Amino acid sequence: MAQTEKKAGLLRRTSSSKKPLKEKVLLMYEDIFTKEDPTKSNPRFWDELFLMKVNLEHLEGKLEALDGDEVVKIRDNINSLFHHCVQALAEEHQIKVVNALQTLCALFRGVHQKNKSATGFDIINMLMGFDKAELRMKELMESLDSLLCGDGSESLKSLCLKLLLCLVTVTDNISQNTILEYVMINSIFEAILQILSDVSSRARHGYDAVVLLALLVNYRKYESVNPYIVKLSIVDDEPTLDGLGRVIHHALAEYNRQYKEKEEENQGGFFSTLTSMVGSMFIADADEKLSVQTNEAILLALYEAVHLNRNFITVLAQSHPEIDIATAPAVPIPASPTTPLGTTPPSLDMMNNPELPLDPNLQTSNLLITFLKYSSIVMQDTKDEHRLNSARLCLIILTCIAEDQYADAFLHDDNMNFRVNLHRMPMRHRKKAVDKSIPSRPLVCAVLDLMVEFIVTHMMKEFPMDLYVRCVQIIHKLICYQKKCRVRIHYTWRELWSALINLLKFLLSNETSLLSKHNIFQLALQVVNLFNMFITYGDTFLPTPSSYDELYYEIIRMHQVFDNLYCMVLRVSANAGPWKEPASKVTQALVNARAIINHFNPKIESYATVNHISQLSEDQVLEVVRTNYDTLTLKLQDGLDQFERYSEQPREAGFFKELVRSISLNVRKNVSLSTMSQDVLLKEFSSIS
Amino acid sequence: MGDTELELSPARLEELQKSPSASSTSTTSSLSLPSSPSSGPRPLTSSSPSTSEGLPTSSPPLDVISEGVGELSLVIDTEVAKKACQKVLQKVKFLKADGELSSANSEPVLVNGTAHPSEEEAEPVKNVRRRQKNNSSKQSWLLRLFESKLFDISMAISYLYNSKEPGVQAYIGNRLFSFRNEDVDFYLPQLLNMYIHMDEDVGDAIKPYVVHRCRQSINFSLQCAWLLGAYSSDMHISTQRHSRGTKLRKLILSDELKPSSQRIRREMPQPPPSCPPTLHHSQGMSEHSLSPSKRTHQRSKSDATVSISLSSNLKRTASNPKVETSQDEDLSSSSDSLELEAGTPVRLTPQREFIKSLMGIGKRLATLPTKEQKTQRLISELSLLNHKLPARVWLPTAGFDHHVVRVPHTQAVVLNSKDKAPYLIYVEVLECENFETSSVPVRIPETRIRSTRSVENLPDCGITPDQRASSFSTVPNYDNDDEAWSVDDIGELQVELPEIHTNSCDNISQFSVDSITSQESKEPIFIAAGDIRRRLSEQLAHTPTTFKRDPEDPSAVALKEPWQEKVRRIREGTPYGHLPNWRLLSVIVKCGDDLRQELLAYQVLKQLQIIWEQERVPLWIKPYKILVISSDSGMIEPVVNAVSIHQVKKQSQLSLLDYFRQEHGNYNTEEFLTAQRNFVQSCAGYCLICYLLQVKDRHNGNILLDSEGHIIHIDFGFILSSSPRNLGFETSAFKLTSEFVDVMGGLDGDMFNYYRMLMLQGLIAARKHMEKVIQIVEIMHQGSQLPCFHGSSTIRNLKERFHMNLTEEQLQVLVEQMVDGSMRSITTKLYDGFQYLTNGIM
Repeated sequence: MAQTEKKAGLLRRTSSSKKPLKEKVLLMYEDIFTKEDPTKSNPRFWDELFLMKVNLEHLEGKLEALDGDEVVKIRDNINSLFHHCVQALAEEHQIKVVNALQTLCALFRGVHQKNKSATGFDIINMLMGFDKAELRMKELMESLDSLLCGDGSESLKSLCLKLLLCLVTVTDNISQNTILEYVMINSIFEAILQILSDVSSRARHGYDAVVLLALLVNYRKYESVNPYIVKLSIVDDEPTLDGLGRVIHHALAEYNRQYKEKEEENQGGFFSTLTSMVGSMFIADADEKLSVQTNEAILLALYEAVHLNRNFITVLAQSHPEIDIATAPAVPIPASPTTPLGTTPPSLDMMNNPELPLDPNLQTSNLLITFLKYSSIVMQDTKDEHRLNSARLCLIILTCIAEDQYADAFLHDDNMNFRVNLHRMPMRHRKKAVDKSIPSRPLVCAVLDLMVEFIVTHMMKEFPMDLYVRCVQIIHKLICYQKKCRVRIHYTWRELWSALINLLKFLLSNETSLLSKHNIFQLALQVVNLFNMFITYGDTFLPTPSSYDELYYEIIRMHQVFDNLYCMVLRVSANAGPWKEPASKVTQALVNARAIINHFNPKIESYATVNHISQLSEDQVLEVVRTNYDTLTLKLQDGLDQFERYSEQPREAGFFKELVRSISLNVRKNVSLSTMSQDVLLKEFSSIS
Repeated sequence: MGDTELELSPARLEELQKSPSASSTSTTSSLSLPSSPSSGPRPLTSSSPSTSEGLPTSSPPLDVISEGVGELSLVIDTEVAKKACQKVLQKVKFLKADGELSSANSEPVLVNGTAHPSEEEAEPVKNVRRRQKNNSSKQSWLLRLFESKLFDISMAISYLYNSKEPGVQAYIGNRLFSFRNEDVDFYLPQLLNMYIHMDEDVGDAIKPYVVHRCRQSINFSLQCAWLLGAYSSDMHISTQRHSRGTKLRKLILSDELKPSSQRIRREMPQPPPSCPPTLHHSQGMSEHSLSPSKRTHQRSKSDATVSISLSSNLKRTASNPKVETSQDEDLSSSSDSLELEAGTPVRLTPQREFIKSLMGIGKRLATLPTKEQKTQRLISELSLLNHKLPARVWLPTAGFDHHVVRVPHTQAVVLNSKDKAPYLIYVEVLECENFETSSVPVRIPETRIRSTRSVENLPDCGITPDQRASSFSTVPNYDNDDEAWSVDDIGELQVELPEIHTNSCDNISQFSVDSITSQESKEPIFIAAGDIRRRLSEQLAHTPTTFKRDPEDPSAVALKEPWQEKVRRIREGTPYGHLPNWRLLSVIVKCGDDLRQELLAYQVLKQLQIIWEQERVPLWIKPYKILVISSDSGMIEPVVNAVSIHQVKKQSQLSLLDYFRQEHGNYNTEEFLTAQRNFVQSCAGYCLICYLLQVKDRHNGNILLDSEGHIIHIDFGFILSSSPRNLGFETSAFKLTSEFVDVMGGLDGDMFNYYRMLMLQGLIAARKHMEKVIQIVEIMHQGSQLPCFHGSSTIRNLKERFHMNLTEEQLQVLVEQMVDGSMRSITTKLYDGFQYLTNGIM
């Protein structure tokens, strides 16, 4: 440190005479923003610059304030500033490295801020110069890679990630960020993986690394071959994938925990309700929405992992943070975090606390369970755009999971039973389920519960049509698996049936308003075909013969809905128009439901007359059903057990582009290099230098 | 003993009598290993150097003795020391006086010996000399016995334990080498317990053999280390630390007993330690190098003399493995030595870590309050354990060499136990030639399941073999379609054609999604609703009777599933299932339980099983293997296809007889009769066991019923002198409830008579070989604090239960009495009631 002082002293003699009130670093910045080569007046200019504390705002402001002509004039100086920044990264002196990293950040931001409209090539030219760009970026990426992978300071690693996040998010649309082309060529994928695979570095930098990865994967995803996609899809190292899963798990679990806390707070008596209501009006609400937004990036990472990497599926079922250390004796227990830098989400440090007590009441959890819980919270309210996006992404992820053989295998594994406490929206007409009563069941039951819950709670004016379609598709895919593998889960299918019938009812009663915006026949067809699955293939996956009877009972009980639906689709398909064809498909799909109704209703009526009963009990109806199967003929529908596999392109491309844009904006806003206080850094490095 | 000697065939006796005289005529060197009949060519080549050596030191008439001295003076190896013991024995046989042996002659030599095992080994030699006079005549007979073919490991153990004669002990210690490994392994607990708790002479006699075997086998090393730890635990802590057992255990675990053995195996595939080594063998070795591991039965003088010249060399090599390695480099190929070096530090580690993590899981499970939480935790812990597999680890309870490749974690179950957390895991292994030398299988990712149900889209996860290869030194190319997996085109991953229907379609659904519209053109298919309903009920009825899932008793379902069915199912769901050498094993991990009594019970059961088989008594018992890892942990080989009677009754809500009819069909069907016979034979077997061993705590949770109708008693926590809480329950000889009798067809049935007859036959047979049984128990009594040895009369009482003094008629009356007594025993019923009240066991 004495050395630094001395150098600062030297500097004072040369330049402080002019403007003694300004910080020295600002004076040096001014030197850069002249046409002159700063080394002319001070040959050791660059050496000294990186010993100064960076003034980010000032530097960024300066860059932004430049107009076109000036830029061209000082381009050489900026180029050499960039060059020297990159060189400084290789310095032994850690202060220099820190300052260089921060300066680079300011450079990227400032230049982009200034030239929002400019093409990527102009920006590259201005920062590095065309001829040198490739070399400079190569050097930069290599330095960052070695900093990230080396056993250097943790704060430095954190800063490297911040710089990368900063670079990745400088443009609103990530695909327009031409500089990233160099990040593609000089991959830092391996460095990210290394961070994720190591327990201690994962705890500190995992969050940033995962966000960075999610963003990089989305760079020009649909236009070119993105090496990050390729690499992510073939990772098969379990500790690494597990690490990725844990970071995601932790972020989602943290949100769940906060939500639950808030919920419990709100239930704590009248007075506290009042206060927290007032409080939440100002803080909590904004706060909560923000965290949904921050989790978009995590959710995107989860999606990419599930979608791209088949090996990741195994991780879904096996993350158990609380037993991390206990079971891995080979992995050295990391020293407790030395300096809480405030750069990582603070709670992340908890993740690997070796002294984490073994709470006997703690339910063993895994990523999938946490994700389902998270989904249940997010799906509760889809009015807000971010929440709607999150809910949609959740459903897309579930779609991918439901399609995967291996995932299906463990979802239906009879030996893996869990209690999953899904969050249920408080509604007037139903009591809040008591948590304790939830039985321990295979995970697929929780997925189905979540779908049922969604179906029941979103029949509203702003009808989230595409979410409903996805929801029904997920159910369909799960049932297809059950049919194919003859898995009989003990699930109360009745709840699903009645939810689906209610959905049809809702579509019917809101026909006109919905038809103006959506193709309701597509959804209706899917729902009816689900019933066809149960009716014609029920023998392959229903748990008991009586559940098959119950299916008939439910259809007969709600026969009016099917009757009305039939009338409606018949009417629509009779008229020429855009809905003619989809409606007629529904007509045909309804044939079995109608056959059941037409077959059993007269039988039930005659039973009632014969026995002189006005209202038949459920058991009596079931009795009639059981005795009259043999005279009923059903029509086997084609392709019931087939589904379209999920594909991101082209259907979802638009959604993901927008999502990534929103994430970019959010990350850019929240990446704050200033949180890394100079004091902390100095303290940390004083012992080193 | 008397029996066996009488049974010697006359021819053999003759031979025995001749042999001493024959050997006396020739030089002493011909008195080599008695067990090796092919010692013919040896004396000629070896005698000349030894006599030239021996003659100058002593006068001609004392030829033989002076030779002994000459040999003693060359002590450098335990081998030689043992040889000396041999000589002493032999001298005794010739009734030679020991006066000539000057202690002055031998003492300094011993001081000179620097190798430390040799000093220890030399010790008994002196003692022998002091004592040999008295017993000489007896021992000459002994030697004949020892040389006879009838001398088996059981006798050897017995003499080792009972003989106070160091010479005999040393001889037997030596003789151990000539038994088959498996035979000795059975008595390993006895051997080690003697090593730990008996006097030094016995220990010294046993040690060379143990060390030798440890060098040969990792498995043996670990077994020894575990047993030594477990049986030392009853000693006082201060003495324990310095005890021989602890020292040997440390030596084994330090892995110093390794280097030479590996090389031996490489140079000469399978040195036959079980059969007596031939002369060429030992000679060949002495010519090359005398590595300690090649310690065999070198008794000829020539060996001794050769060893003089090599003695310095040898000592160096023994203490300094480096020298040995360099010495050996010309012998082994460079590649071998490379692997050797790589393998050196981790010989025992993987397996120890594996066992340790299994035990760790058990410990953590014990902290969780509910079965459900335990099960979940178990599954998740095991899934993490999977990350570290395949590895060079194995299940010691298995009967073949293998590597563990995967633990199908979702199949694991927590067993019923009040406060401990024993659990049952299934383990997928790949059988191999030799787990120490065969290469460890390559890991296959979880997601690569080769489901037999669907053949679609398997090759779409990309793993290049090279990527995997980098982490392993060798990759056996066992999986030919590895090539297919390496195809990884990102385009393939990303571009999914919307029309692709991935589901395998049965019967009718081969059409595309939008075929619904064009349906009219096709012939519609109609099905009857009744058929669907019927199929549903039929399919559910067809599945074999399974138990209902009960979160409080998770093991019931897992254990009820037929083993073959389970193997098939697990094989379907594992990425290793396609390999031809794939096997499924299971093991119960017990943490916090002392399995030493279980091991003792296993040995007794096994011994009785052998006896009954030998005597052709069709009693059926199922000794299950026990692995003692420490005094409070271990593993048990589960009995497959068996559930406890408690579980049977709770799940089926039927009486035992009705359950038999449900499972095996009605009376008079062949299936039922077979099951009934099995039941009777096993019942009789276990009743005898329960009586002889005084097995207590016999509630229905501790009695299993297998799919063939056998009963199997488990949990031998209360045997011999111990009983639960000493409440005085279970005073009857064994457990025989009226329900059992019902299954046998009632008191008047033929099967019940058969049962009584079997009991009698079994008891007579067991009585005949009582010594073999007693000996197992008696040796383990040494130094033991186990509750089953509580009090002073354990062994005496055990002996009394064999009723040596009764005639067969009296014995028959006794059996009748016991059966009647047990039948009427109110205490059995009381105990069941007590268990139902306290533990909910039906």
